[in-house]
Amino acid sequence: MKFVIQRDQLMDSVQHVMKAISSRTTIPILTGLKIEAKDDGVKLTGSDSDISIESFIPKEEDGIINVEQIEPGSIVLQAKYFPDIVRKLPQKTVEIESDDHLKVTIRSGSAEFHLNGQDADEYPQLAQLHTEDSFEIPIDLLKNLIKQTVFAVSTVETRPILTGVNMKVEDNHLDFIATDSHRLASRKIPLEKSSSQLKFSNVVIPGKSLNELNKILDDTHDNIEVSVTENQILFRTKNLYFLSRLLDGNYPETSRLIPEQSKTIVYGNTKELLNSIDRASLLAKESRNNVVRLQTKENNQIEITSNSPEVGKVVEELTAKSIEGEELKISFSAKYMMDALKVVENEQVKIEFTGAMRPFIIRPIDNDNVLQLILPVRTY
Amino acid sequence: MSKWYPKQGRVILHVDMNSFYASVEMAYDPKLKGKPLAIAGNPEERRGIIVTSSYEAREKGVKTTMPLWEARKLCPDLVVMRPNFERYRSASKSMFKILSDITPFVQPVSIDEGYMDITDCESLGSPIFIAETIQKRIKSELDLPCSIGIAPNKFLAKMASDMKKPMGITILRKRDLDEKLWPLPVGEMYGIGKKTADKLNNLKIFTIKDLVEADSYQLKRVLGINGERLQNRANGIDPSPVDPDAIYDFKSIGSSETLPHDTTDESEIKKLMRHLVRNVTRRLKRKQAVGRNIQVMIRFHNRKTITRSIKLPDYIEEEEDIFSVSYDLFNQNWNGEAIRLLGVTVQDIAEKKDVAQQLDLFTYEKDASKEKLYEAIDKLTDKYGENPFKTFKYEDDQEQPRTSFQKDFLDDYKQ
Repeated sequence: MKFVIQRDQLMDSVQHVMKAISSRTTIPILTGLKIEAKDDGVKLTGSDSDISIESFIPKEEDGIINVEQIEPGSIVLQAKYFPDIVRKLPQKTVEIESDDHLKVTIRSGSAEFHLNGQDADEYPQLAQLHTEDSFEIPIDLLKNLIKQTVFAVSTVETRPILTGVNMKVEDNHLDFIATDSHRLASRKIPLEKSSSQLKFSNVVIPGKSLNELNKILDDTHDNIEVSVTENQILFRTKNLYFLSRLLDGNYPETSRLIPEQSKTIVYGNTKELLNSIDRASLLAKESRNNVVRLQTKENNQIEITSNSPEVGKVVEELTAKSIEGEELKISFSAKYMMDALKVVENEQVKIEFTGAMRPFIIRPIDNDNVLQLILPVRTY
Repeated sequence: MSKWYPKQGRVILHVDMNSFYASVEMAYDPKLKGKPLAIAGNPEERRGIIVTSSYEAREKGVKTTMPLWEARKLCPDLVVMRPNFERYRSASKSMFKILSDITPFVQPVSIDEGYMDITDCESLGSPIFIAETIQKRIKSELDLPCSIGIAPNKFLAKMASDMKKPMGITILRKRDLDEKLWPLPVGEMYGIGKKTADKLNNLKIFTIKDLVEADSYQLKRVLGINGERLQNRANGIDPSPVDPDAIYDFKSIGSSETLPHDTTDESEIKKLMRHLVRNVTRRLKRKQAVGRNIQVMIRFHNRKTITRSIKLPDYIEEEEDIFSVSYDLFNQNWNGEAIRLLGVTVQDIAEKKDVAQQLDLFTYEKDASKEKLYEAIDKLTDKYGENPFKTFKYEDDQEQPRTSFQKDFLDDYKQ
């Protein structure tokens, strides 16, 4: 195997596949990074058996030559050293060559590395997905769906299914739902044509996979293809192949837990509210539970307070755009509230409360397809 | 001004029950009096070790923590009983009640000992008279023997109560130190266990007098801050107050148990884990507390012991939650080797009233159904101050605690 490649292109691809490589894996060869040179380009593969990523660097793209002098072949290199080597090479181009004894030579300018490789035949074959259950959405929209939901997944393994994001497709809509049972984030978008027969409800993608995918994907309008099988999901763009295991088990039905009527509705400025909660949480952060209290007052005033006996307390009043319904006094985690407000993506926010002991709903004022739900805190 | 009470300084009593469990059994069944009696964990299994024994048994060489078979060899007519914690608990409660009749400044240390600060009890008589009164009352009302130490601080009172057993009353004044305290080996000093004693011996410190004269810098280097404290105590200085609430400052609740035989049987391990978690949960509930750190201890067949803990994002209190976290933690850290002992401890504990409860999406309906009640309580609280209602405490006294280190059964001696 031999090829000469643009270092920047190679670096990008290496960084992508590195997201899937873990030094702690039960299959030793998976600590390595697979390089495969073909006539049409170079493919890198990384996997920890939960996530597998392939990144392809075409020989030529939009008239720009990325790879030259290709002699087909493949090799597996230690992922511990290869990325740093590529990053620090002196020239714009890199020559990589392997011989029959699995010795690899990396040349760039006058620098020359000799590494011991491993036989690529020993690298596990990635499962090829055969499924009709696929749809396409723009990459930037997918990134948005991920950003608005994935932070709400559970970080503890007490209920493993909740460490994932539930992806539903129904009535030509795609819905992402995440909850750690203390808050819930959901985002729904209409799908484009041709996916009307598609329907699935119990697809649960590990939060970690979506976080990695989000890091790799560039913010573009290009489409990404999403395919689902029984236990795996594949995200595919022109040059990227991102395969993740799905979580086992039934995702709990959450829709019936979301209150439909509200007793108090607060309309306000998202940023002002966020900043105010942020300030109040300064004192609450260190104490046992980062709790702030919100109380509605007359003349559209909201009072945000927080009291940490050992530190001190903070009171702040802000003016809501309007307050409808009953008076309300409610306590909640400042962190959950800030997480939710950060992804509202609208200047104005609508918060619907149904009492101090029931979940409340945060939405951008103009979009019912974004829903953030938070369970309050009961102070004894 | 009485000649018995110092103008400055304090008068502290340390009341120490003599072979408490055995004495309680003898009070319960007077036929046992005068017989060598031992209380042992589980007479038929390996964990059957002597928890405590009567003075008659001690004369034959029976010692606490000795395996049962060894004790029986030394003392063939030994009467062995299982512990009846309910009896000990109730005797303990009555005992502390007698102490608290003298002064509210009673600090229980364990089920069978406590400190009293009687500095302000001049009107009741001299310290000796008070000690005699206590000793007599405990003897006549509960038929139980105790030893009492009288001293200007807790450390000396503790050392004094140890000097004459059973039924002793010992006064230890600062001027008595070089005669009564300093000749003792350092290992006899309260607060010095075997390990510390070994370290001190390595520094050629063998008696408490040696400790007094030791280089404080060197002590600090070997024992840290504790070195300084021990040296102060040896000098008769111990400023720590008698704190009636000290017993309520709890940071962890744990339970551990040795298996009757080493095992790799997962269902047996799971069963023991369930049992331990049940113990811990019961005590947590009795405290009305919640915790958010779970520690699991595994001792293997070769005595190698590991402890692993996990910090949780939320406080938990329910048996199911504690069990699932503990069992996960166990499985993540068990290498499959045979196990001798298992322990579960809930740490980072807080009283429920100090903690806000994060409601849960899947269970909030249950809590919300009490909303009206809570609202009413809030209103009354606003009106009358602190919550006028309390939920009934979880009580389950049929179950017996398993270690003598538990302090939670002292909670209610004042009530």
